[in-house]
Amino acid sequence: MKSIVLLSLLGVTSMFAGVFNYRKLILPIILIGIAAAIGLFVDQWGMNKSFYQMAFFDNYAIAFSCLLLSVSFLIFTLALYHYRKEGDIVTDLYALFIFALTGGLLMTSFSNLVMLFLGIEILSIPLYVLAGSRRADLASNEAALKYFLMGAFATGFLLFGIALVYGASGTFDLAGIAAYVKAGKDIPDFFYVGIVLLIVALLFKVSAAPFHFWAPDVYQGSPVLVTTFMSTVVKIAAFAAFLRLFNYCFTPLASYYEIILTAAAVATLLIGNVTALYQQSVKRMLAYSGISHAGYLLIALVVMGASATSVVFFYSAAYAAASLVAFAVLTAVMENKEGRESFETFKGLAKNNPILALCMSVAMLSLAGIPPLAGFFGKYFLFATAIKDGYLWLVLVAIFNSLISLYYYLRVIINMYSSADDEVPAFTPNYALVLMLLLSLGANLALGFYPDLLMGLLG
Amino acid sequence: MQSVNYIPIVLQLLVAGGFVTLAMTLTHVWGPKRKSAEKLENFECGIESQGNARMPFSIKYFLTAILFVLFDVEVIFLYPWAVNFKELGLFGFVEMLVFIAFLLLGFLYIIKKGALKWE
Amino acid sequence: MKEVIQGIPLNYYLFLSTVLFSIGVLGVLFRRNAIIILMSVELMLNSINLLLVAFSAFHGDAKAQVFVFFIMIVAAAEVAVGLALMVLIYRNIKTLDIDFLNKLKW
Repeated sequence: MKSIVLLSLLGVTSMFAGVFNYRKLILPIILIGIAAAIGLFVDQWGMNKSFYQMAFFDNYAIAFSCLLLSVSFLIFTLALYHYRKEGDIVTDLYALFIFALTGGLLMTSFSNLVMLFLGIEILSIPLYVLAGSRRADLASNEAALKYFLMGAFATGFLLFGIALVYGASGTFDLAGIAAYVKAGKDIPDFFYVGIVLLIVALLFKVSAAPFHFWAPDVYQGSPVLVTTFMSTVVKIAAFAAFLRLFNYCFTPLASYYEIILTAAAVATLLIGNVTALYQQSVKRMLAYSGISHAGYLLIALVVMGASATSVVFFYSAAYAAASLVAFAVLTAVMENKEGRESFETFKGLAKNNPILALCMSVAMLSLAGIPPLAGFFGKYFLFATAIKDGYLWLVLVAIFNSLISLYYYLRVIINMYSSADDEVPAFTPNYALVLMLLLSLGANLALGFYPDLLMGLLG
Repeated sequence: MQSVNYIPIVLQLLVAGGFVTLAMTLTHVWGPKRKSAEKLENFECGIESQGNARMPFSIKYFLTAILFVLFDVEVIFLYPWAVNFKELGLFGFVEMLVFIAFLLLGFLYIIKKGALKWE
Repeated sequence: MKEVIQGIPLNYYLFLSTVLFSIGVLGVLFRRNAIIILMSVELMLNSINLLLVAFSAFHGDAKAQVFVFFIMIVAAAEVAVGLALMVLIYRNIKTLDIDFLNKLKW
């Protein structure tokens, strides 16, 4: 709880950085603040503190919160590079990022449906603004409006679901709902409708098919740093909330909604991967790749059980580490090619900036799941758990999709290692970009060589 | 399930409707009647009205209006707090101070950003 | 007051809010003007508020009413952001018809 308070204050601090003129100091303050928040969380490990039955900080919440905080730390390091020439508006953007992150932390630690709703909204509302933060750019405007309308629409479903669940069980408390489901005495039909509506809303938020259509547009239109935040922090927070809610409350009723989640997982995998094949923009391709990874994570949700939590945690950490590298390189390339983002833009990167090209290759291979990188172990643990629980056919679908995904990940690498007239010029990345790449690449390799670092964490 | 007694509601409706009809009839019958061009204007404020109401007006009103809505709606939380003020004691008081402090910080931000400056 | 609310069967409230909610959903799906879509979303949220208050009266516990407050506050914040975005877009393209927002397509 302390770190959530700390982050709110940090957000207010950076909100006032512009008007009280300590702009130069704000990024170091934010980075120190986030590191301190991680420290405060680690300090709470294993204590299972509850906060007025509103938030419950068990190891699950702490692990996911630390993951979100670390990813945000790296994104702010990237901001140090990306926003180095921007003017006044930047401190407000930082404040919005931090408020959104606070919402994400609430989504990992809620123990009451009120907090789930507030967490999702605190995460979403700053993001609507962030998506539109390039005010003169029509694409950014459009992304913001689409994200806003779709987000508000999904919120409606979430709330209707919450209302129905409350109507049947008479409580918003997760423990109370779990007890109600376990007792299982004359559960009215509308309770099941409530569960389905909750699934719909959360599928919206994790951008899984058939509710994924907003994601590519929003990801492509938003400024690249915001896209990075959305495809890592937002996605992980939404999955953490999804898993926490369903694992805690509704497992006895799994047979009723399992079919919906399975169908969504298969559809997400197929649509995400197949559509990614014919994209022209790397940013949009990464959006579809994010959708397909949501499909893999949904498989973990279908499989459920205590083992699913550690698999989801490891998988999201591996996905975030690889995505961060990919987006960092994309940011650097776009900056040196007047903001263009097609596959062809990457031509000549290997010749002129071999280190960046190497980083990008590692990221792409990790996303595709090539051993010994982190992404491979994420998929390996996921498939192993699924097969053990008798979902062999689902695993076969997933493996088939991994093979499809190889095509578009390799396409980036091939473009980087080929030459053209209009190549990426040689440039020296500044210290922040180097630091950020080193840290996330290190995380990638560390998770690849020592997967037990995170795998055993949640038991 | 017991049936509800709807008669009070019906009575309420009758009284409300009856009062409106009565008042309007009485003013029509007894009120003085002066018809002139000025009397038929939409606004009797002495200034000539310009155009009609459905014209675009300055965007500056938008910002003020939106900020008003935001700060106005937050007052909702004061009502349940005020009702339970005694039971919540010092703790509730401090919590509400924190809440108001955050609102005030937002207000300070707005002022410092110059969002309320008209020119 | 509670007796009056409870005098009407719970199912009636459920049907009424479901109908209102569905009208809101259809409005979002079929209207093309961004402001009307926003109003439809508000209709969805208010149907939920109605349902929550009804459930609250039937369960005899006030938690749902506090939840309604939260929904109202968040809706107000959302509307503020949404309208600001629409003003921004109107400045750039001089319309709020969402069919004109088609820059992001492959």
